[in-house]
Amino acid sequence: MAPVVRVEHLTKDYGAVLALDALTLDVGEGTTGLVGANGAGKSTLLKILLGLIPATGGRAEVLGHDVATEGAAVRAAVGYLPEHDCLPPDVSASDFVVHMAMMSGLPRVAARERAAEVLRHVGLAEERYRPMGGYSTGMKQKAKLAQALAHDPRLVLLDEPTNGLDPAAREEMLGLVRRIGHDFGIAVIVTSHLLGELERVSDNVVVLDGGRLLRASRTDEFLDATGALLVEVLGDEAHARMAAALTGAGVAVTDRGSVLSVGATAQGLDVRDLVRDTASDLGLGLVRLQTDHRRIEDVFADDAPGASADSVPAAPVASAAPVVPAAPAAPVADTDRRAGRHRRIEGVPGE
Amino acid sequence: MSDPTAATPEGRSVIHDLGYRPYTGTRMPPATIARALAVTGFRNAFGLGRSGRSKILPFVLLALNLLPAVVIGGIAAFVGLKELPIGYAEYASTTQVLLGIFVASQAPVLFSRDLRHGTISLYLARPLRSSAYAVARWTSLLAATLVFLVLPIVILYAVSLLIELDVSDQTREAAKALGLAVLLALSLTGIAGLIASWSTRRGFAVVATIALLVIANGVVTVIQGISTEPGGNTRVGEIAGLFSPYSLYRGLIGAWTGADTPTPPSSTGMELAYVAVLVGISVACLAALVARYRREATS
Repeated sequence: MAPVVRVEHLTKDYGAVLALDALTLDVGEGTTGLVGANGAGKSTLLKILLGLIPATGGRAEVLGHDVATEGAAVRAAVGYLPEHDCLPPDVSASDFVVHMAMMSGLPRVAARERAAEVLRHVGLAEERYRPMGGYSTGMKQKAKLAQALAHDPRLVLLDEPTNGLDPAAREEMLGLVRRIGHDFGIAVIVTSHLLGELERVSDNVVVLDGGRLLRASRTDEFLDATGALLVEVLGDEAHARMAAALTGAGVAVTDRGSVLSVGATAQGLDVRDLVRDTASDLGLGLVRLQTDHRRIEDVFADDAPGASADSVPAAPVASAAPVVPAAPAAPVADTDRRAGRHRRIEGVPGE
Repeated sequence: MSDPTAATPEGRSVIHDLGYRPYTGTRMPPATIARALAVTGFRNAFGLGRSGRSKILPFVLLALNLLPAVVIGGIAAFVGLKELPIGYAEYASTTQVLLGIFVASQAPVLFSRDLRHGTISLYLARPLRSSAYAVARWTSLLAATLVFLVLPIVILYAVSLLIELDVSDQTREAAKALGLAVLLALSLTGIAGLIASWSTRRGFAVVATIALLVIANGVVTVIQGISTEPGGNTRVGEIAGLFSPYSLYRGLIGAWTGADTPTPPSSTGMELAYVAVLVGISVACLAALVARYRREATS
């Protein structure tokens, strides 16, 4: 199947800033998360994909249309949810979505039908007839999403859709994003700086840094099992005693604060049984025994220099088929700067 | 086998969730989209499709603007006048303050609102080009201004037919007034639209537009007044008339309809200059609007 978005050597030079640096990337169907710190080039990429700003070099195709020459065709088939406020306060969501559907070329009658349907899908009930100025942030985000879907696009670009939402509204929005990608059959590109969110909704993750592609692969490849078990036990000095006993049995153990990370690939013995029996022998309460999965932020940690000596064993992520070779080695000063950036991202949802 | 007409075993009907249904119907070309935008904008300029409060100002202004025409019609019908007490074209000059307030207050509805609330980014992410957006918005304001200017002419014309004045004379005068109304509407729309598109604050745009129109007209009126005093040079007044839309309009009324206005253009060349300036203002403002939104799209 042809990719939804194909970007080749895309460069955008604002003069003072190199926003995109020879970016090459394919985005397929399903939900794709776009991750990067502020200034990584996410917004610039979205604007070029919408055909709003010209690229300095390279080319980009969306749904088979060249964005430089067929911008209108691209915009007719793409829905866009911007990060900032974009709703007029004195118009009802119902009227607004009808109008926006017509602005995408739907006839009035069809626009009315679509608006009613889309507003139902996003979950705006009676309040759709009230002026949007009185909406909560959650309702506003739903109205913004409704206008992005009103014309039945084949691809939607969602720029930070969960920004400013409380946990319940965030859950609802993430559920909607997942439904758009899976049930509605519309390709989704969603940006977020909360990696935990993208981990849950996206099939693929693209990581941008300084206008370059850091990594692009399936989310589950990012989240491969690390080959370790997480064990949590309760009792007097439980972790210390448990660690000593397991080490004595020839299993690698690392204390990670609230849990023990236990190497599950020991020679020929079933580590799960061993953990169970050891806990039983020591009279400790075994409260957790689970496979350790990586999180997306671990990937950032791996890429940051000096972070490879982590407690997590080197997982096969590096070989998990990045679409494009990783960014070329940067000069030392630059590397330090980038490491700092990763640190900031990392700090968000991790344990 | 169960009865297919009974939706549930209990015989109650249910609403089925059909799930997401894709749209497979026709999609309109950009010209149709632009027309839809212009029509919506025209409605919005009168507060239609917006909150109830936003309908008050435009309709009060429109009613005030039409009141004199209706009163004249009533009096003319009762008394049986031999001619209309006010010329078709002079009417707009008399109610120019209402006209100015209307254009100044409704231009931000069309131009500032989208910029202030960020809605512009939704328009720009749709098939319409930024230039088409600007022209559609401008068309909405032009149409709304024309309604404001043309309705009194229509009422006066109907009155003149009712009191059985000479039809060909009246039709000729009304047609001239229509032409002048278009010229005035073009220039006012351009100026007010351009100011509104540079201001995200509605109040600022309203005040700036009214101030510009009133101050320019005031200064020109003073100069024209001085130039008609004994010993004054009416040529100065004629040239001063080039510097405000209202005085340009007044000058052309004086030249074309024989109405009594200070220092109307006295030569064909000067008349052409008046028309050229009115058209020039409109074209320049429209071009600036298009450039403004092109910049907005690529920033």
